Amino acid sequence: MTGTGSKALLPRRKRRRRSGWRGFLYIAPAMALVILFFVMPVIFTGWMSLHNWPLMGGTRWIGFNNYVRMFHDARFMSALRFTAYYTVIVTIAIFAVAFPLAIFVEKQRRFVSAYRTIIFLPVVIGLATASLLWVWLANVDSGFIGPALKALGWVDKSPNLLATFDSAFLTIIIMVVWKIAGFTMIILLTGLQAIPADLTEAARIDGAGRWQRFRHVTLPLMRKTIALALIISVTGSILAFDQFYIMTSGGPQNRMISVVYYIFNQSFVSFNLGYGAALSIALLAILVAISIVQLWLLRVGEERP
Amino acid sequence: MIKRLLAATSIATLCLVSGASAAERIEMWVRTGVGDAFKKTVEAYNSKHENQVAMTEVPFSELVQKYATAIAGGQAPDALSMDLIYNPAFAAAGQLEDLTDWAKSLPYFNSLSPSHVKLGTYQDRIYGLPLSVETSVFAWNKDLYKKAGLDPEKAPASWDEITANAEKIRALGDDTYGFYFSGGGCGGCMIFTFTPLVWGSGTDILSADSKTATLDTPEMRKAVDIYRNMVKKDLVPAGAASDNGTNFLSFTNGKIGQQSLGAFAIGSLVTEHPDINFGVTLIPGATGGTSSFAGGDNFVITKGTPRIAAVKEFLEYIYSEDGQKIMAKYGSLPTRGDIADKVLAGLDPRLQVGIQAISVAKTPYTLQFNDLINSANGPWATFTNAAIFGEDVDGAFSDAQSEMQSIIDSGQ
Repeated sequence: MTGTGSKALLPRRKRRRRSGWRGFLYIAPAMALVILFFVMPVIFTGWMSLHNWPLMGGTRWIGFNNYVRMFHDARFMSALRFTAYYTVIVTIAIFAVAFPLAIFVEKQRRFVSAYRTIIFLPVVIGLATASLLWVWLANVDSGFIGPALKALGWVDKSPNLLATFDSAFLTIIIMVVWKIAGFTMIILLTGLQAIPADLTEAARIDGAGRWQRFRHVTLPLMRKTIALALIISVTGSILAFDQFYIMTSGGPQNRMISVVYYIFNQSFVSFNLGYGAALSIALLAILVAISIVQLWLLRVGEERP
Repeated sequence: MIKRLLAATSIATLCLVSGASAAERIEMWVRTGVGDAFKKTVEAYNSKHENQVAMTEVPFSELVQKYATAIAGGQAPDALSMDLIYNPAFAAAGQLEDLTDWAKSLPYFNSLSPSHVKLGTYQDRIYGLPLSVETSVFAWNKDLYKKAGLDPEKAPASWDEITANAEKIRALGDDTYGFYFSGGGCGGCMIFTFTPLVWGSGTDILSADSKTATLDTPEMRKAVDIYRNMVKKDLVPAGAASDNGTNFLSFTNGKIGQQSLGAFAIGSLVTEHPDINFGVTLIPGATGGTSSFAGGDNFVITKGTPRIAAVKEFLEYIYSEDGQKIMAKYGSLPTRGDIADKVLAGLDPRLQVGIQAISVAKTPYTLQFNDLINSANGPWATFTNAAIFGEDVDGAFSDAQSEMQSIIDSGQ
């Protein structure tokens, strides 16, 4: 840049700098909270991850050994695999249920607010409470599902749903969809309602069918909403813990150990806080990476005409 | 730094609380699933003394991590009823009060249960003293035996006999079952009731020095077969496959013909389920012999507690004849050998089987007990579920064997 050019820009830059300070003042309280409750703990976790840090007794600096150990840890790898499997299945299931529900409750019809309330109701229950409720529902002797199937004559003997991997996994997926779909539905609903009626109207006049309108008008306009719902759902699924801890204690045969469950076990069952911290940092990196990829795939930052 | 900060604040609050009244209030934790013996003793103590004990029950599967976390956060209770298996690890970490001088001054010190004192001793200093003793035994429901046409007074002596009896009991009806065990990944339940099958036959799951896993033996294969066979023949309720220990005392519902359980359960059955008419005997080994798991709790005191005098007074009450009698009535075998006969006089004769079991009983000694055995996600818990309920028995054996060995090796 030439000298004359920069001289001409000077006053504007000064003004910008002053308003920059004022802006900083506005966000300072929020920043303070984020620094105190997020950035500092993350830095501390990072510091812990470089140590052999038992729950009781002295700590010892071991550099990056915890991170090296991670790559040879078969149980961590299988926890990662299981978490990925769970995330894919549960996210598809949630969207497959939530999208039709959102379309259903979007239109003005009789009792629509009653439907919305009923579908949203499970969301306000805590996940741990919901898990306990479903432990009872799935109980083989004193529960509901098994004895009900038996009473209907569909099975000879009440099945123990939580005893085999497939049926336990299916039970958990159904529980999570029942619990979460209402929330995803509300997010998608706001996106649907933000689409101006004239656009769909215009498409209809142009002769677009129901599916074409959905594919070429509704979906592109909901891109940001879907991205938000997707990121919330994927992040939540990757951080899943309560349902596996409460409903199956990680079983049958340890096949339902999610990453967070494994971190918990390493930290508070085996008392390796240092290794648990290293695993947490790795999980944080994975989550950040996945979120970036999702935002990029859905091109949220780009302005579209 | 955070540890220190938490410790400082909690000490400050402790000072405020303890300054408030002259009578001391002792915070004490106890694990669930050990019956009522300790609870009743606390009640009796509180009604007669100025000092009071506030007892908190913590789920048995979480007690160790909760206590360890509480110590790290400076929120630990004054004293704890700790599964004696964990005593060495906590003593080694320097978290427990050294009781050596006081313990040795007790006139009955030499008659306290020696295996408990041994596990409470670390580098010649004593950090834990016996609180409760229990052994695992085999129980059968005499009423169901009678109904099934079996001799209710004849204790089964082998697993063939147990299986045959279970079949006859199962034939009684829809919801009556021949046998029960908590097989849904409850490591603690299974080490207590299932390992006696291999111990009785003369083998073990760990080598004598605890440095080699010796899970895959013909005796263990046989033991697994016995349980698998009973599951296959539908002699065990379906709930067993996912019971992580919450329904361990299913025997008390009166619809289970036979089950291995502990002396604590004898106490609960006698006092709370008098309608259940049962007999007890030693657990037969898979290929002959008998064995039992000798367990129980040690009384440990958190290092640096300000109420140590009050805690000691309470412990002396437990060791008094009154205290021992209440403990025994609810199923905890006497911890003081010198007055054991006096304490047991007039109590249920079935408790004598629990005492007999001590002579054939074993207790595994390893610092990694939680990782190896007790954790719901550890190799032992996984193995028992996979081998007995799973499809691939060989896989269950090889997975657990290598996983146990790798945990042992990484802890060296």
